Amino acid sequence: MRQLIDIWIDAQTWLFETFVGPVLFRFGLMAWYEPGYSAVEFVMLGVVQIAIIAIGMRFFEKRWPLEKSSSDDRLILVDQVYTLLNKLGILPLAIFIVTYPLVQEIELTVRTWGFAPPRLERVLPWLGDNALASFLVYFVLYDFAAYWLHRAQHGFAWWWSLHSLHHSQRRMTVWTDDRNHVIDDLLITLALVLFSQVVGVQPGEYVLILMIGRLVESWSHANVDMGFGWLGDRLLVGPRFHRLHHALSTPEERHIQDHNFAPVFPIWDILFGTAVYDGKHRPTGVDDPIVDGDNGRGWIAQQVTVFGRFMRSLVPGLRRASVQ
Amino acid sequence: MKKMAFAAVALALGMSGPARADAVLVLNSDEASFSILTRSGRTELARLPVGREPHHLLVTPDGKEVLVGSTVTNELLVLDAKTGERRRVVRDIIDPYHLGFSPNGKWFVTAAYRLDHVDIYRGEDFKLAGRIFIDGLPSHMAFDAESKTVFVTLQQTGRLVAFDLQTQAIKWNVKVGEAPAGVVMLPDNKRLLVALTGADGLVVVDPKDGSTTGTLQTGKGAHNFFPKGDGRHYFLGNRVEGTVSLIDTQDMKVVGSIRVPGGPDCMDITPDGKELWVTQRFLRRIAVVDIEQMKMVASIPVGKSPHGVLMLKSGATGSAVAPVRAASTAGDQK
Repeated sequence: MRQLIDIWIDAQTWLFETFVGPVLFRFGLMAWYEPGYSAVEFVMLGVVQIAIIAIGMRFFEKRWPLEKSSSDDRLILVDQVYTLLNKLGILPLAIFIVTYPLVQEIELTVRTWGFAPPRLERVLPWLGDNALASFLVYFVLYDFAAYWLHRAQHGFAWWWSLHSLHHSQRRMTVWTDDRNHVIDDLLITLALVLFSQVVGVQPGEYVLILMIGRLVESWSHANVDMGFGWLGDRLLVGPRFHRLHHALSTPEERHIQDHNFAPVFPIWDILFGTAVYDGKHRPTGVDDPIVDGDNGRGWIAQQVTVFGRFMRSLVPGLRRASVQ
Repeated sequence: MKKMAFAAVALALGMSGPARADAVLVLNSDEASFSILTRSGRTELARLPVGREPHHLLVTPDGKEVLVGSTVTNELLVLDAKTGERRRVVRDIIDPYHLGFSPNGKWFVTAAYRLDHVDIYRGEDFKLAGRIFIDGLPSHMAFDAESKTVFVTLQQTGRLVAFDLQTQAIKWNVKVGEAPAGVVMLPDNKRLLVALTGADGLVVVDPKDGSTTGTLQTGKGAHNFFPKGDGRHYFLGNRVEGTVSLIDTQDMKVVGSIRVPGGPDCMDITPDGKELWVTQRFLRRIAVVDIEQMKMVASIPVGKSPHGVLMLKSGATGSAVAPVRAASTAGDQK
């Protein structure tokens, strides 16, 4: 095990000292020396995630596909672009650059008022001595926040105008999870980072939560009819549970997408009355032809089109017009 | 598991004077833990949880306790200097990144690196005397011999600031170079050495007014000092270059260089003065340097991003523990 860790560390150190460190030094960015090193690991973990998706998860999709191969398969390509941009750290870096000054300013402002955000360890001191319990508690809290943010994405017309891009995919696969507008990603990141700071998630845990959480979410978008059994499906979100959230609405089920919001732990849907376990197979996508038009567009065209949709949604009088 | 860990610590620290004297503490800043190693065995005995993002540690002036700055939880975790066990927690010490006691023990100072302020506390009870907000990532500190002034580097703005400890007023604030980090007051009390992490060496600064009186090239990413113990020579880690330089502060020249890969950071010396232990931040290891041979002879695995390191000097009794009044990184007070 130590040998594997050493190989990982050696690779990270070599990549950093060869490519990243010299650039930071050259441009007077030594304050970012340690974060830069962590960023290299973030990218390396991204490569691992891509490998897990492309080899592990895709195996199940190929072996037991729910929706058979069709002409819509071409729609998957853009989702793969999203996944690469996200997992390789390109979009997260851009989002970090934009959000960091704001997050820092908020924390500094709060601090100048003499207020230090309470940390969870104050309430539960035993957490400080138990790394696994601490990780799980923070993971659950993080997911709780993510659940309500997800509901907000569906509840506000302006936010739905962005988030609808994620739902417009008719050919949902393991690549679909990262298909989001950059502004949507930015808002979610900002909210979750602030939440994490308030409750006391430390950076190392945050990265791990992000990695495990996003892997679960990639799997929950898989084109398979699989779950974890009666109990398992109530403990962890799987493809069968989440596919319902992406279901195409019909006159009989106009609000079908307003269910099964939970990213990782279905307990939130169960507690707040939004869980549906009916085992039915439904096509995915949206019934709004304008939003459905996202399909077939490339990454840039989708970003531009959805930005226009977002701007129009900010004009008073316009309301969500997709799955209502 | 926790009991087993403490049993291991007890084995290392609790049996006899010599056994206790054998311990080394290393803070693993990215995994919220500290490692306990034996110097003689050169192995990690145990890894115990400690706060969140612990970076620096120091022994209290009476030698009885070790303070660990837990930056994210805004606390000082107080360990028993003999057993390594946790004694208590000092709360509301905000973002305690770098720590230091003034030589007379009257003042305790913290540099809040992430939150841009320097806090001056009364050393006896950790009551806040003054908080000075100052932009630029307050990084490391050193004190004058009279315990009147603390000097703090600002890594982002490239400045060195002198604060009056009694009034908490700024005496002077000057630009010294790119990304200043480690700072040390020489025994003559007339020269400050400041390591420039954004450059390839150090500058010599007059503590009276902050004027630069000299420079010395050591290596890229010059970061932090540690005294050799003879009052004349100092080690300086060069993080980007992956070396540790030995500096003769009398002649102001580099008299030796040791290859220590993996972003060498904090240092400490074994009580017999034969070995220099250096944290290798990136490699998750701590290097052992044979000072006579001037070469790295071992590298011991520890936790993620090891930063502060502290030798328990004797561990036998409180009075026998050599008082370490500044953080392990600011070896000037040692």
